[in-house]
Amino acid sequence: MSRVDPAAVRAVVRKDLLAATRSKAVVLPMLMVPVLLLVVLPAVVALGAGRGTTADISSFLDQLPGELAAPVARLPQREQLVVLVNGYLLAPLFLIVPLMVSSVLAADAFAGEKERRTLETLLHLPITGRDLFLAKLLGAFLPAVAVSWAGFVCFAVVANAVAWPVLHRLYVPTWLWLVVIVWVGPAVAALGLGVMVRVSARAKTAQEANQIGGVVVLPLIVLAVGQSTGLLLVEVPVAIAIGGLVWAVAGALCWRGARRFTRDQLATRL
Amino acid sequence: MLEAVDLSRAFDGRVALDGLGLEADAGEVVVLLGPNGAGKTTTVRLLNGVLLPDRGCSRVLGLDPATSGDQLRRRTGVLTESAGLDDRLSARQNLAAAAAIRGIRGNEAERRITGSLERFGMGHRADVALQGASTGERKRVALAGALLHEPEVLFLDEPTSGLDPTATRDVIDLIADLTRTRGSTVVLCTHLLPEAGRLASRMAVLDRGRLRAYGRPDELAAALWPGLAVDLDLGGPATPPVLGVVHGCRGVLGVEAAASGARVRVEDREAVPAVVAALVAADVAVYGATPRPATLEDVYFALQGEPSPAAPDGTG
Repeated sequence: MSRVDPAAVRAVVRKDLLAATRSKAVVLPMLMVPVLLLVVLPAVVALGAGRGTTADISSFLDQLPGELAAPVARLPQREQLVVLVNGYLLAPLFLIVPLMVSSVLAADAFAGEKERRTLETLLHLPITGRDLFLAKLLGAFLPAVAVSWAGFVCFAVVANAVAWPVLHRLYVPTWLWLVVIVWVGPAVAALGLGVMVRVSARAKTAQEANQIGGVVVLPLIVLAVGQSTGLLLVEVPVAIAIGGLVWAVAGALCWRGARRFTRDQLATRL
Repeated sequence: MLEAVDLSRAFDGRVALDGLGLEADAGEVVVLLGPNGAGKTTTVRLLNGVLLPDRGCSRVLGLDPATSGDQLRRRTGVLTESAGLDDRLSARQNLAAAAAIRGIRGNEAERRITGSLERFGMGHRADVALQGASTGERKRVALAGALLHEPEVLFLDEPTSGLDPTATRDVIDLIADLTRTRGSTVVLCTHLLPEAGRLASRMAVLDRGRLRAYGRPDELAAALWPGLAVDLDLGGPATPPVLGVVHGCRGVLGVEAAASGARVRVEDREAVPAVVAALVAADVAVYGATPRPATLEDVYFALQGEPSPAAPDGTG
């Protein structure tokens, strides 16, 4: 088997990213969702708490699982809302970001190439099918991880800074949060990628891929939210194991996608 | 340089190409002709190793496209029918990506890209996103990209569609120049018969995946129409007695009236003076005798079983 041509892979990744950043349909959802979830919402909640709007959330806490409610219930009342929302309820939504960014970019990179009728030109270039597949994966995966991490840094800064007058301490990240960010988040990005690779093989346009992918990815988002809510309540080793499971599923999906990603099969569907 | 034997491919049971056989030498232009769905694009994809054949084999530049595709594609250039450029990027960015994949980078890539775009009159739009560019402009950028690495074999799928007459002429001149000066082999898919006629060293006529004919246009014409067609200008349609005079001359294979005189088919050009002399002796004014060799267009329509307006046998 021939060696990977890093320069060719880099060229495809660079081209895809450059093109994606020029597309509003790609950039807007990639930026809007992280900004809303990880910057605006925590800021609003923390500011609300800082201005003394101390909502009584005791009835809400009563409905939460005991393990989740206990650490929040022990806090002073004016700290409860900000810690509950920013520290617990909002945090799980973080996993939507890598999932969504990788899905949108993968749809653009795989199905979008067919839609723009640029795939055939690519197939006529001297890059192996394996390198092309690798480039397409990296072109979606790396930005998904980068956006997620950047989003998380913004979230941590905003959440801590705006809540400082109320809490007088840093409350994110925790060790468990770091596992979610560094290990589970990239796994979820890979999972979205694996799904979209399979979906894009059949879709003719990026929009179609996004629609079909949404049907598959949405339940995963729900699952991710549920899982990550749980993640914040479990021990670090359990979180690592869950991340490993997601990686395994994502790896299997990508591997199966790679097997079908041959020049001949791609050209047959042009 | 380029050879295919029994090359065949089907998609979901539908035959796209069936038993194609062709060959071409360095510096030749092979024109693939045929209606939509004839198998032209499939042929290009098979010859460049993008598709794998179900049956048969081919060799291009001594390489088997099915097993040495990447090696081959380093030495070939392709212009696809749709130009295949990302509209969100500029011409330079599109070409830079292709150049980098081909291993051309840095100043060398910059120099080639600038030179190639200027050669095709796209230097002024090099750094503007292609969104909004005309079909002709895209085509020119794509052509610049296909020639960036000086390929030994060039596959051109409808290179002049969407181009204005001047640009069309420039592309035809360029192809002729590439074959003449650099010895590049060109495989040209086109619907435009006049441009094909100017360039074709060999022509392949495809129909629903089957090769109807392959060879040099003059050889195919000779097989279809033996002898030489000559248009006689007599100032008006030839009358039956005049046609009788012509028919009685030695070396005449056939004659029929035409709008300005008659179209005569003779064994060779040596028979023409005797025909003219016989007409003059019969007091028929002869204003001209023009040999009319069959064109690629005539051959194509004849092979398709359709009449050509100016076919050498006068059908039409």
